[in-house]
Amino acid sequence: MKINNNKIYGYLLAIGTVMGANLAQADVSCGQNTGKAASGDAIKVGGIHGNAAPGDFSAATDAAAAYFNCVNANGGIHGRPIEYLVENDQWNPELAAQVASKLVEDEGVVAMVGNGSFVEMSVNAPQYARNNIMSMAGACAASECFESSNIVSTNQGPLASSIGAAMYAVEELGATNIACIGLAIPSVGNWSCGAVERYMTSKNLQGSSVLLNPTAPDVNSGLLEAVASGADSILINLPAGLAIAFLNSAQEQDFGDVYSWTSSTPLYDASVPGALDEYWTDKVFVNAELTTLDGQGPDNQNWLAVMDAFANPEDPRDTFSQSGYLSARFFVDTLQAMPADKIDDRNAVTAAIKDIKGYRSDLICGAYYVGEAKRHMPNHAGIMVVLKDDGFEKVRDCYEYESPYFAELIETEKSLKLR
Amino acid sequence: MKQKILHLLLYALGMLLICALLAWGKPPKIIGLFVVSGFAVGSLYALGGIGLVVLYRATGVLNFANGAVGAFGVMLAWQLGQMGWPGPLTWAVGILAATLLSLGYGLVIAPKLAWRDPVVKAVATLGFAIVTLGLTAFIWDDDVRRFSLPTDKQAVMVLGLRITVTRMIVISAAIAIVLGIWLFLSHTRIGLQMRALANNRDLSALIGVPILKVETIAWTISGLIAGFTGLMFGDLIRLEPTVITFMVIPSIAAAICGRLNNLGLVLAGGLFIGVVESLLTLSPLLKQVRPIAPFVIAAIALIWMQRGQKLVFSRDA
Repeated sequence: MKINNNKIYGYLLAIGTVMGANLAQADVSCGQNTGKAASGDAIKVGGIHGNAAPGDFSAATDAAAAYFNCVNANGGIHGRPIEYLVENDQWNPELAAQVASKLVEDEGVVAMVGNGSFVEMSVNAPQYARNNIMSMAGACAASECFESSNIVSTNQGPLASSIGAAMYAVEELGATNIACIGLAIPSVGNWSCGAVERYMTSKNLQGSSVLLNPTAPDVNSGLLEAVASGADSILINLPAGLAIAFLNSAQEQDFGDVYSWTSSTPLYDASVPGALDEYWTDKVFVNAELTTLDGQGPDNQNWLAVMDAFANPEDPRDTFSQSGYLSARFFVDTLQAMPADKIDDRNAVTAAIKDIKGYRSDLICGAYYVGEAKRHMPNHAGIMVVLKDDGFEKVRDCYEYESPYFAELIETEKSLKLR
Repeated sequence: MKQKILHLLLYALGMLLICALLAWGKPPKIIGLFVVSGFAVGSLYALGGIGLVVLYRATGVLNFANGAVGAFGVMLAWQLGQMGWPGPLTWAVGILAATLLSLGYGLVIAPKLAWRDPVVKAVATLGFAIVTLGLTAFIWDDDVRRFSLPTDKQAVMVLGLRITVTRMIVISAAIAIVLGIWLFLSHTRIGLQMRALANNRDLSALIGVPILKVETIAWTISGLIAGFTGLMFGDLIRLEPTVITFMVIPSIAAAICGRLNNLGLVLAGGLFIGVVESLLTLSPLLKQVRPIAPFVIAAIALIWMQRGQKLVFSRDA
């Protein structure tokens, strides 16, 4: 018998690929961990992200998709696979409403997981409540995302993260007057920088807001406005690209040592140290909503392993990716605990999600819970890192943020016996 | 001539008056900072506007794609820099790429629209801008990047604000281009042919103006300016293709301040828009309207300077 060499190479390559994939998957932990592919009717789950100029918020849905793929390859949920349907709102409110209707009403998804957008939550919060569906978001930025009955996120958003940064500026850097630089987007900049102002007032200190138009080319005027406010500390609460432009303007004026510099989470991105001049080394302190990207905890290591085995190599490994993974994991854990015959029943799934109490992960500082409430922000403690030449270094471990804003949440946590 | 100078003086006086009103009651040191900051941004608008007017005067095409080809050029320069190419070579390749894109459009698409209405020509370049932006965004996905020049590190103090050498290069380049183009158009044969072509394409063709050659030169000059402007925008604004592409919008406002014709007024208009935008920040009430400032200023300038004399989009009318 004549053997075709190419065929042999093909078989060897196929065997090698399968073995490689198995090796890659050997140290991941997903769902039931059976190592067998799920089968049967799929459980439909939805996800919406915003990906168009000026920003890409798809990291959370990418990570959720990777985790669901991992779960599907490891026995699924009660043996059934998850079909994850992801849509892009392109930062367009009309499109955001359309894709939500498509997923919730036409496709009949049982829950939304890993959503990430500036727009989607503000538009769709009433629709989720009306349809009694829960959104376990991963990349929230607007107030409606944290102040709605049917949305809960694993990330903190700009308000909590900015307060965390402001606390560090006051307690560790001696700030007495903070200028918070935010985006002039309703429910985003005024909401989060306003909370920083109220935090400063609660400490008998001064705070002010400078809101930048996201498309404005000139960030210099914003910098000068902050200078004119009399601030001694500047808190940057902007998407990374705009934040870097702002820091470049400040560097141009040699303000690095004139003010103390803090930032909310968007600057905690692996690309940032390379995009900033070494001038900023040890000068910019950044709040991180979840653990460090190289955190050695088992869940963070599992996130990295799942991304390596089941995500595209170009998918970001950032904070939103961590939170998307975590939302997906908590969702899968919740469905696993439900009776098998109830996991297609949206009302039952919603009730189970609202019943979540005290889930833990080394990715977040506190306990994750949902509960029946008009506001959800389970993650309101974080860490601080400082910018280094080639990365970041942790300078403060888990600390809980203080602000009048969290009083209601703390009461809920007490009633759930989580404190 | 006297009347023209009087108009220019009134124009300048109006600009000063608006700036004075916006700055009224603020400490001189703060005003100085905002004025200098406004000049720094305004010089970028002026540079973009000059690139638009140079091509418009020579070919009758208002090129909305200038920002997009500049964005492609600076992204390419950044990419080559990441690959370890020496700085000056990356800048040259970036400017060359923008020039080739501009020239490609000028030689392949623009001649097919040569006899169409100026508005059609302008809208076609908008399509080219979107295609170029799409291509750029496809090659370089959304990420945090920085493009810097060695001149960013050197600076002088002007009214309390540090002005980097890069910003001084922008202002100097804007003035040098205005002077250079004026000399070129008024003292060279090609310049004369460009003016003839812009005034009346049919007649120019009949009297033997080499249309292809003249337009090739015009698109090349425009591409060079767009490439240089792209590098400056990438360094001084931010390295985001969308932001650089749409910098063409305030640049158009600056160009309209010069009636798409007078490069000196484009320079003045761009600087004025930058200063007014900056000074608006001082007013808690008016700072929200900063994004529309370029267009309000362009509209006022247009109403004042045209006064029924000339149509912007139909030079032959």
